[in-house]
Amino acid sequence: MGREVSESCIDSLLIEMVSTYCNRFYANKPELAARRIEAIGYQVGHQLSERYTMERPRFSDHLEAIKFICKDFWSELFKKQIDNLKTNHRGTFVLQDNRFRWLTRMSIDQSPENGASEDPSIMADEKAVESMHLYFPCGIIRGALSNLGIPCAVSADISNLPACSFVIRIKA
Amino acid sequence: MTSTACFIIVSRNDIPIYEAEVGSAAKREDAAQLHQFVLHAALDIVQDLAWTTSAMFLKAIDRFNDLVVSVYVTAGHTRFMLLHDSRNEDGIKSFFQEVHELYIKILLNPLYLPGSRITSSHFDTKVRALARKYL
Repeated sequence: MGREVSESCIDSLLIEMVSTYCNRFYANKPELAARRIEAIGYQVGHQLSERYTMERPRFSDHLEAIKFICKDFWSELFKKQIDNLKTNHRGTFVLQDNRFRWLTRMSIDQSPENGASEDPSIMADEKAVESMHLYFPCGIIRGALSNLGIPCAVSADISNLPACSFVIRIKA
Repeated sequence: MTSTACFIIVSRNDIPIYEAEVGSAAKREDAAQLHQFVLHAALDIVQDLAWTTSAMFLKAIDRFNDLVVSVYVTAGHTRFMLLHDSRNEDGIKSFFQEVHELYIKILLNPLYLPGSRITSSHFDTKVRALARKYL
């Protein structure tokens, strides 16, 4: 176990996956496309968490599992750890990555020269496309945590690129 | 040296997803049912014990006559349980670790639904070979 693939292959695959699901398979149904992408991420996260927890002892509580996600899991996937972890100690965690690897190749066209009337719709479209790309990592986190016994809901927040925050809400 | 051994894998939802008689002794009909019964009865003990430690290999957790139940728990709370009469702890631990690797390979199959029965004959052959090697 443990063959290697070049990172550009992964990048291209992910970009193509999002583009295919949004523009070809579920062309006018972005919610369905988002659900499918998130489901793919769920299965991948499930398998990855099983693989990466093999060598280490098991987790005693939720915080240990979240810390595993922030450190070991993130460094296996993105070669860096989560930069900031916040919690309200009541089942919500915010994982902040200051330079999310899969978004580094995305341009953020925020030039103010576009006409003022067009700005809001273009910005909204760009945000929609970017948020589509985040369903996959959200699914990965949700799959990994579900395998560790923590049912949760994960959402992403990209108010300031290239930093990206993932909000994990543990159910019950 | 003949040894009796029965190996089952129980998923996190308490559903057995794989079972095999891997001992080298002659197989008797009633013995197989008895082995399964003892293993399932030991599940409660595993539940209690699993939360007390963060180790994966819980050694011998239950006895029945001269048969001992050993258990290995993964992070996803899948339990590998072995009913055996030998005392070779290191061999059993290595056996569990190798079966864990095989189990992860099964999970990596995108067409495998986690928690469903493992029907791959390849997996079965490999587990029996590992049992002959380590037990």
